[in-house]
Amino acid sequence: MAKTITGEALQGPLTKEGNEVKPASAGGAAEVPDFEKIERSEGFKHLMRKKKMFLIPATALFLGLYLAFNIVISYTNWLDAPIAGDIPWVWVFAFGLFAMTWILVTVYMKRAAQFDKMAEETLKEFGYEEKGDIR
Amino acid sequence: MNATVIIIFLVIVAMTLVITYYAAKKTNSASDFYTAGGGLTGWQNGMAIAGDYLSAASFLGIAGSIALFGFDGFLFSIGYLVAYLVVLFVVAEPLRNLGKYTLADMINARFNAKKVRGAAALSSITIVIFYMIAQLVGAGALIQLLFGIDYLWAVLLVGIMMTIYVLFGGMTATSWVQIIKAVLLMLGTVVLSFLVLKNFNFNIMEMFTQMKTATPHGEAYLKPGVKYEIPLDTISLMLALVLGTAGLPHILMRFFTVRDAKTARSSVMWATWIVGIFYVMTIFLGFGAAAFVGADLITSTNPAGNMAAPLLAQALGGDILMSFISAVAFATILAVVAGLVLSGASAFAHDIYGQIIKKGEATERQQMLAARYASVGVAAFSILLAIFAQSLNVAFLVSLAFCIAASANLPVIVYTIFWKKFNTAGAVSAILTGLISALVLVSVSPSVLSPEAGAAILTGTPLFPLTNPAIVSIPLGFIGGFVGTLVSREIDEKKFAEVKVRANTGGFKQL
Repeated sequence: MAKTITGEALQGPLTKEGNEVKPASAGGAAEVPDFEKIERSEGFKHLMRKKKMFLIPATALFLGLYLAFNIVISYTNWLDAPIAGDIPWVWVFAFGLFAMTWILVTVYMKRAAQFDKMAEETLKEFGYEEKGDIR
Repeated sequence: MNATVIIIFLVIVAMTLVITYYAAKKTNSASDFYTAGGGLTGWQNGMAIAGDYLSAASFLGIAGSIALFGFDGFLFSIGYLVAYLVVLFVVAEPLRNLGKYTLADMINARFNAKKVRGAAALSSITIVIFYMIAQLVGAGALIQLLFGIDYLWAVLLVGIMMTIYVLFGGMTATSWVQIIKAVLLMLGTVVLSFLVLKNFNFNIMEMFTQMKTATPHGEAYLKPGVKYEIPLDTISLMLALVLGTAGLPHILMRFFTVRDAKTARSSVMWATWIVGIFYVMTIFLGFGAAAFVGADLITSTNPAGNMAAPLLAQALGGDILMSFISAVAFATILAVVAGLVLSGASAFAHDIYGQIIKKGEATERQQMLAARYASVGVAAFSILLAIFAQSLNVAFLVSLAFCIAASANLPVIVYTIFWKKFNTAGAVSAILTGLISALVLVSVSPSVLSPEAGAAILTGTPLFPLTNPAIVSIPLGFIGGFVGTLVSREIDEKKFAEVKVRANTGGFKQL
């Protein structure tokens, strides 16, 4: 089992030379990678850009629609009119929020698979590879 | 209590005890105890999340609410489901990548300060205790009705069962109890929904037409505004629901039971489908109960409407279905309270004892012992509180728990992951501001103070107008974190770089 993940273990000297950042598991003594270097790398910056491009609009969209729905049903009776037969619009919009949740989850699962690939490439570039189950 | 109830009930109890027996054999380390060794698959954890999340308040409460209040009863379902997008987009993956057993672990991956850990543990424990009292008091009343036993014995029964699961089987037993419960709950809900739809001739249009005249509310039943009349109060409550889920300790803890962020993500996907389909079916349960049981019988059996689903089962499927649904309700309660005990115990034993008092140097044996003592302690304390709270109206504690989770935990999570300048002082002040403001505001709100004697815990004039303070306390939590950060001005960009890289790539976990 891995040692408790705390900052203490990470405050050792930082590796300065080149792009070679050795993971802790490589060869005996734990060497701490230069995270700032990874943070500044093109690969990682690209990953963060792509993530933001999805997450910020998607979060704004679902929170916005959710809040708008609640504000509209609380302050107005716009959605009380029936859409078909005796079903008021409000049920359609409510179900729309359900559908929105499922759609966004599905889209995110696809996107996240791409993020995983980018993250993997960044990690590889800095000499880190998943060594099986680390627990 | 008839023979069928007793048999189904005993089968469920026996099944969960067998699981606990096998789980106990596999529970040999603190990691096994808190995270089931981290070996759950995506669908297993997704089912367990659903089992952890769909409390009796969801199953019996929402079905009853829809039966009595129509559309307004369904509002909770919407908030509870959309909340999973916050969990998926913001919390699940960084939490898995940075943390080990608790939320405090994740925040401390950045700060490593005892006061931050202490504050995070405090808010987790507060949420768990409130949520647990609501669950246990509800469970006591319910089991009293379902099985005809005394409140005291009902609470003790649930309390002892949850303690056995957690004490001996840890997270492994808890997870499987939750998975089985999720299967049973879905099965019961599908059967009930099918019977309801059959009675409406499988015609949704006809169902709505009939519902228009089936209840005392008439046409208003199908529209918002029957239950929630104060717009700002509704919005505040809905904010608590959508933002609170991502800060509930027992839900967050579930993400440590999978091996990586990818699996954490797929477990949210599974959970979203299961939880969502379940909530869609609550409409059929609620409508069915209103149409085929009737508001009078529902409220005379239980004024809050909690018996709507079992009564519906009785009306459509007779004694056998009623017994099955009662047993499902019992399993539902057990699965949720077991998850709560475990997350409360992790805050005490891992955060406070293991990391703060023992400075992370407790031996494996000490950690296990502490975890077990803490589990018994949390369970015993909650049982006692639940026994004393029997006659109090504590239903609001569930939405209060969501409110605290959204006000105290969500701001600090968001800042930790995204804000470069965030610091130790900011983290402590974000948690405490959110926690204290939610608690203070609710204690002077209509949920606690009512001019009408007996309607709330205390009699008096409320000083704060909203029943749920989320719309004020969530912004206060964020402001608290912001101001705290600016005041102390300490900054560690290196540490943020590390947290950012680890949270977003899942690498360097063994550090």
